[in-house]
Order: sequence, then structure tokens, then C-alpha cells
Amino acid sequence: MGLHKPIYHPMNDCGDVVVCINSREIALRGEEWRRRAYFHHTGYPGGASWTLAWELHNKDPTMIIKKAVYKAMQGNLQRRHTMERLFIYPGEKVPDDVLQNVSNQIRQLRPVPTRLDHIPEEEVQNFPKVMDYPEDYVLK
Amino acid sequence: MSNSNLFLKSGFIRAPLQNGVGRFVPQLQRIVLKFCKSNGSSRGLRDFIEQDLVDFAKQNPSVVVYLKPRRHRGPVIVAEYLNGDRVWMGMHNKTHSEITKWIEVLRTQQGDIASLRLRKYQYTDYPSVQGPWTPFTFKDPELNTAKLPDPKYGANNRLPMTATEKLRLMFEKQKLNDVNTAE
Repeated sequence: MGLHKPIYHPMNDCGDVVVCINSREIALRGEEWRRRAYFHHTGYPGGASWTLAWELHNKDPTMIIKKAVYKAMQGNLQRRHTMERLFIYPGEKVPDDVLQNVSNQIRQLRPVPTRLDHIPEEEVQNFPKVMDYPEDYVLK
Repeated sequence: MSNSNLFLKSGFIRAPLQNGVGRFVPQLQRIVLKFCKSNGSSRGLRDFIEQDLVDFAKQNPSVVVYLKPRRHRGPVIVAEYLNGDRVWMGMHNKTHSEITKWIEVLRTQQGDIASLRLRKYQYTDYPSVQGPWTPFTFKDPELNTAKLPDPKYGANNRLPMTATEKLRLMFEKQKLNDVNTAE
């Protein structure tokens, strides 16, 4: 943690805390919402359960992100302590005591897709087009 | 860092003393060669004693050289230094030439420099002239007053321009040209 910092040293604690917002709005590719299953075992006989991604997301919208990060880290003793530095919130609302310490923002990896009906009417009208559909053309 | 390093003395790397700038003070004070007269593992050390030891003692009058023959024990060299360090070095089955080299190492080093766990691989007396790095150096000053989260700071700015965007710009430019020629 903090490996990228010039002041990094294994004996000093300089890792950043990360706040993740809008975890409810995450996207999964393809059929993942229906196909991906999260396994849990209570420890008792017959205690195994498989929860589908959409079910898990309905129960707790932060869980998929949390599990993805947890899975991506090395499985050592530090993992659970490092996870304590990740705050995930399902929506925009972040507690003030967390928000006042935020000093930077991580840029997105890829642009967020927009929907046609979310773009303002005027901008759609002004967008260049090669041709207009004929009057009698029936859009499916 | 493994467990065996936990009890190792720890410290920082340092430049050698300015020994020899004025006068040279020999750092090695005493060297004890312990060996067996019959065992084969002491063969190299016995060769060294027979051939080179007298020369070594003559060339280094400041070093006290002891020989300690002992039956059926392994060959060992113990060196003691001006700063109180004591280096124990096993010479089991070492050849004559290897022992010559190790004794040269013991003679020239300043105390027990090998048994030190380096806390860092670099050291300076002057950590920084321009001030140490903080998470806020080289950061955009706009961030000081920005209210985060803000799409302006969160948007991706590393992707190349899309073909759609390029076409749109070409169209805008064409429109401007059309207006200009019409006038």
C-alpha cells in the first residue's frame, strides 16, 4: 500500500483510503447478472448456498464491488485490514466525516455510456446526419 | 525480511570513515586462527599457516596473530576490531586461496559490517533541500477548492478522440466554411 509514493517504506503506513460511490449503478457484461453465482457455506452440513449476482445486488448493492476487490487482492493476512480502507456506498450519499477528508478523485477507466433519451433534445436535433428517413418509412 | 533477521542488528548504510586521509589507523586488532592438526577440513588453513602466515604477520605489525591448535574441531578464524566488533568465520574445507582472500577481507574491513540488517538501501544526512514529498506536491491547486466528487475530475481524459467526435468536428468546420463562402 502506497507503493507508488516516494516516501514508501514497508514499515510506514502510507496507504490511501478509497471511497467508492454509486455502487448500485455498476454494470456486468453479457449474461453475468443471471449467470454469475456467489458461493457461501455456513459450515454446517447442507449449508452451501449459491446466490446469483442479481440476487446479491438486490440484497446489498455494495457486495459485488467488495467481493471483486477482495478477490483481486493477494490472500494474505493483510487482506482484511487493507479492505478496511475501502468504503463503498450504494448511492451518492457519503457521510460528511468521510467526505471532508477526500482530497482527490480517481479518473474513470472508460466513459460512462449515455442513453439517447438522456441527451438534451436540442443537441440531438443539431447532430449531423447523412439523410432523413422518408415520410412513409415505418420504424420497427 | 525473514525470521532469522529479527535479531540481527539493524542500521543504515554509511560511508566509510575518512581513515587514511591524515594517518591510517589499522582497524583489525587481533586475529585468531583455530585449527586441527590432523583433520582434513583444516587442510587449507594449515597450508595458509605454513606458507603465508609469517609474511602476513610481518606485513601487518599492528595485528596480533594467535594460533590455536585444537584436536578434532573445525577450522575457524576470529577477528577482533578497534571498535569492539568480533567476527567469527568458519573455514571448514576452504582452500588455501579462499582463506587468503577471506583473511584479506577481515584485514581491510572496518569492524563487523556484514552482520547488519539495512533498514533502507539508501541514506542521506540531508533528506531533502526542497522539502520532502507530500501527497499534495505536484497536485493541481484547483483541487484545494474543488467540491468532490465532481465529474470534471472524475472523467476519463486519457482516451483518444472517437471517430464520431472527429466527424462531428469536421462537420462543424464545414458549416463554418459554408457560411464564410456565402458571405
